[in-house]
Amino acid sequence: MEIKLKNLTKVFQSKKEEETVAVDNLDIVIPSGQLTGLLGPSGCGKSTTLYMISGLLRPTQGEIYFGDENVTPVPPEERGIGLVFQNYALYPHMTVRQNIMFPLENVKMDKQESLEKAQEIADLVGIGHLMNRKPKQLSGGQQQRVAIARALVKSPRVLLLDEPLSNLDARLRLQTREEIKRIQRDTGITTIFVTHDQEEAMSISDEIVVLREGVTQQVGRPQEVYNNPGNLFVAKFLGTPPINIFDGEVKDGRLMIGDADIAKKDIDDREVTIGIRPEGFKMVERSKFKAEVDLVETIGRDTTLIIKHPNDETQTFRAIVDADYGVEPGDTVKFNVKPHKMHIFDKETGEVL
Amino acid sequence: MEQAIYGNEKQIKRKIFIRLAIVYALIIFFAIFIIIPFYWMLITAMKTLTQVESAPPILWLNPAEWQWVNFSGALEQAPFLRFTLNTVVVAIIATIGTVITTILSAFAFARLNFKGRDLLFMAFIATMMIPGEIFVITNYITVSRIGWVSLDQSYFEAILAMTVPFMTSIFFIFFLRQAFKTIPNELYYAAKVDGKTDWQYLWRVMVPIAIPTITTITILNAMNTWNAYIWPQLVTMQEDYRLVSNGLRNAFDDTAGRIMYHEQMAASIIVTVPLIIAFLLLKKYIMRGVSRSGIKG
Amino acid sequence: MLEDQSNVKAWFYLLPALILLGIFIFFPIFNAFFLVFVDEYNYMQGTYEGFTLINNFRYVVTDHNFRVAMTNTMLLTFVSVPVSVIIALLISVWLNAIKRLQGFFQTIFFLPYVTNAIAIGMAFAFMFHVRFGLINWFLGIFGISPINWVNTGASWGTAIFALLVYVTWLGLAFKIMVFLSGLQGIDKQYYDAARVDSASRSRVFRRITVPLLSPMIMYITVTSFIGAFKAYTEVIGMFGERLGPPGNDRAVITVVALVYRSLDRSGVPGALSEAAAASLILFGVTLVFTMVNMQVSKKRVHY
Repeated sequence: MEIKLKNLTKVFQSKKEEETVAVDNLDIVIPSGQLTGLLGPSGCGKSTTLYMISGLLRPTQGEIYFGDENVTPVPPEERGIGLVFQNYALYPHMTVRQNIMFPLENVKMDKQESLEKAQEIADLVGIGHLMNRKPKQLSGGQQQRVAIARALVKSPRVLLLDEPLSNLDARLRLQTREEIKRIQRDTGITTIFVTHDQEEAMSISDEIVVLREGVTQQVGRPQEVYNNPGNLFVAKFLGTPPINIFDGEVKDGRLMIGDADIAKKDIDDREVTIGIRPEGFKMVERSKFKAEVDLVETIGRDTTLIIKHPNDETQTFRAIVDADYGVEPGDTVKFNVKPHKMHIFDKETGEVL
Repeated sequence: MEQAIYGNEKQIKRKIFIRLAIVYALIIFFAIFIIIPFYWMLITAMKTLTQVESAPPILWLNPAEWQWVNFSGALEQAPFLRFTLNTVVVAIIATIGTVITTILSAFAFARLNFKGRDLLFMAFIATMMIPGEIFVITNYITVSRIGWVSLDQSYFEAILAMTVPFMTSIFFIFFLRQAFKTIPNELYYAAKVDGKTDWQYLWRVMVPIAIPTITTITILNAMNTWNAYIWPQLVTMQEDYRLVSNGLRNAFDDTAGRIMYHEQMAASIIVTVPLIIAFLLLKKYIMRGVSRSGIKG
Repeated sequence: MLEDQSNVKAWFYLLPALILLGIFIFFPIFNAFFLVFVDEYNYMQGTYEGFTLINNFRYVVTDHNFRVAMTNTMLLTFVSVPVSVIIALLISVWLNAIKRLQGFFQTIFFLPYVTNAIAIGMAFAFMFHVRFGLINWFLGIFGISPINWVNTGASWGTAIFALLVYVTWLGLAFKIMVFLSGLQGIDKQYYDAARVDSASRSRVFRRITVPLLSPMIMYITVTSFIGAFKAYTEVIGMFGERLGPPGNDRAVITVVALVYRSLDRSGVPGALSEAAAASLILFGVTLVFTMVNMQVSKKRVHY
């Protein structure tokens, strides 16, 4: 089920008649049968978008299509969606089985059939042995799965997950995100999830949509977006450790940071912002791009150099290099930059050049 | 989250309007049911005796015709100012006593470690379920034996009899202990590091933090005194020593002759209005107590 | 160091409360069991004439007034509690469903909580007045001739009916306050989830609202039963110390009223033992019903 959002806009009105534009003219296509991550910092409108797709919120303007059907005027109970809430919203007084069966009760499915269906879904998400427990007796990860089972049991056209991993601890988070990926693949259901954690989105999404203040920044395969960020915001938002930012300029077809010549760049002379991924540095014998090492962190096979920023001595930037370089704090290191790990942005607009 | 609305806009809006109208109609119906006794009290208090004793009853009176003189009539029936004064004295003494004993023991239960703490606390809680009538019998014997209740009872003795048995409350101890429990341990350790004693910590840190709860306790206790009827009726031997509720009932009992309903209702208003004002001003604190208790009565 | 046992200090803090509770709460509990098993107790001298196992109980139970009191108390309890719990639940749900004027109506519904039971009881008595009262006027609109509810010569039936109306009215406020705060504490996401799951309005009420509110319902039911068993001030408010319509004295007496009447005759040897017996019987009844309540709700209440 392909989902199309057309000029989707949501304006919230506070009591004092102040208007906040939460989602601004969103125009995206979410591919059928895939796992799509809506990604952005808090307040970017990603949850609002999700709730508009679910029908719990009504758009101020614009339309939502499930396939060719315009579902904008369709109430949530008739949209055929499964929704997993951030804190799961499992009914605390019902057992796992009753929770999973609740949606089937409402469509008046035969008791025996719905029992079987609930068991089948519970087995699929790996909680088939916990059917008689109450939500309180389950771990966070198990509750999450019950919530997913409850959303899946009525065979929805679309599965929506609101910050599915935010309430789990770090270890469970890794495990659960793989589990979500597996369930999505096994069921083939079009799935949209919301997250503010770029790593989470990058690791399991087939496609990500980066949002900022209600406006789409970029849509694409995670690696594609990472490798070719459309603007400075996307470049900064994706990747850990984050991309390093330098002030630079283009002079006579050369890209310069200070007086170091970094690369060739065939555009008119102008000031630019340069982003270089931490893994984009190569240590060399001779280069004008040099700086003093402040700290050295060695973790396993990687060494992270924390280096005084050439633009500003009080700032630092990070370079990840192989562990076998014997670099000490205080040393001056010289770099070349890997061209595909470097992105050049307009200093004013932040658009990629 | 706002409720999203779907379907034929006009139709849906009408449906919602009708549903809401029904809900409001039901609410208003029951609100009237609640308000009528108050209104009846007020309107009766403002009538002349002839108006009171007219059938069918007069349901509406022009405020210009209101008989404010009924209030002075009511005050002549019984010394309500005296009763009010008695009530205020009893309320103040009982409340001060309650607040102090409650703070001290709530502190011990919430903060100090001692042998038998949990057992004692359980015993406290268990007695909350025992109806007060069982205590009243023996307490009556006790205050009589002490000499506070006798035919030649003095005002001071009457006040003692009305206050001392109520200078502590298990429910309030429980209530305040819960509030004290929410104060983080770190504050206690910090105070200890700064060389504060337990006593200083209690009065300089815990009590100021728990002021909202203590306020609630004060208000509820004062309200209970204002509404107290049974015990004061038992232990006061002279009409002059009574509290407002007793004064109100005794002054307008029909054993005392024909009831002057307009003055009875005027006196009822004198007793009711301070409560309503207190409620409107202190709703927040009263509600805090309600969410945890069934202490009325 | 800090968490050391501080026995002596703790008892010092507890001392004022312990002394008072010891004298006025703990001792009376034991003393009640003493009183109820002695004969001809004279409270001023503290003398008694031997022990008895059941005499005081027998005296109370065979007293005509006790049977009337027990009937009245039971009737008050088993009518007013269910009726007021159900009405309060409905009103709270309705109140919770509106936005405009919610605070205003809340205040109105909370008002009876702070009223003086004597003052408002008098107002109720006058509302039920046979000639000048509001109720008979209202019934008159429908052609019903005046009923003597509470005035001279009124029957037990009409008097207890009027009392029931008053007790129910008085009990609503507290219940609404508790239910409303319970309703406001229910996470709105449950309702969103139910909506996505296509649950109908009535199903949401039955399957989600009521179960999630069940701890409050349970709490209110138990405390209301306990409170209703103790009804007394309400009777005084409406009927005065006569405890019934004039000419039909003690028609609406309650068990607690009986206890206090015994106290009024405290000079008579044995009267206090009867009071103790009556109060212990009431305590026993209360305890049984509380246990039954808890047992019944154990299966139905979700915590």
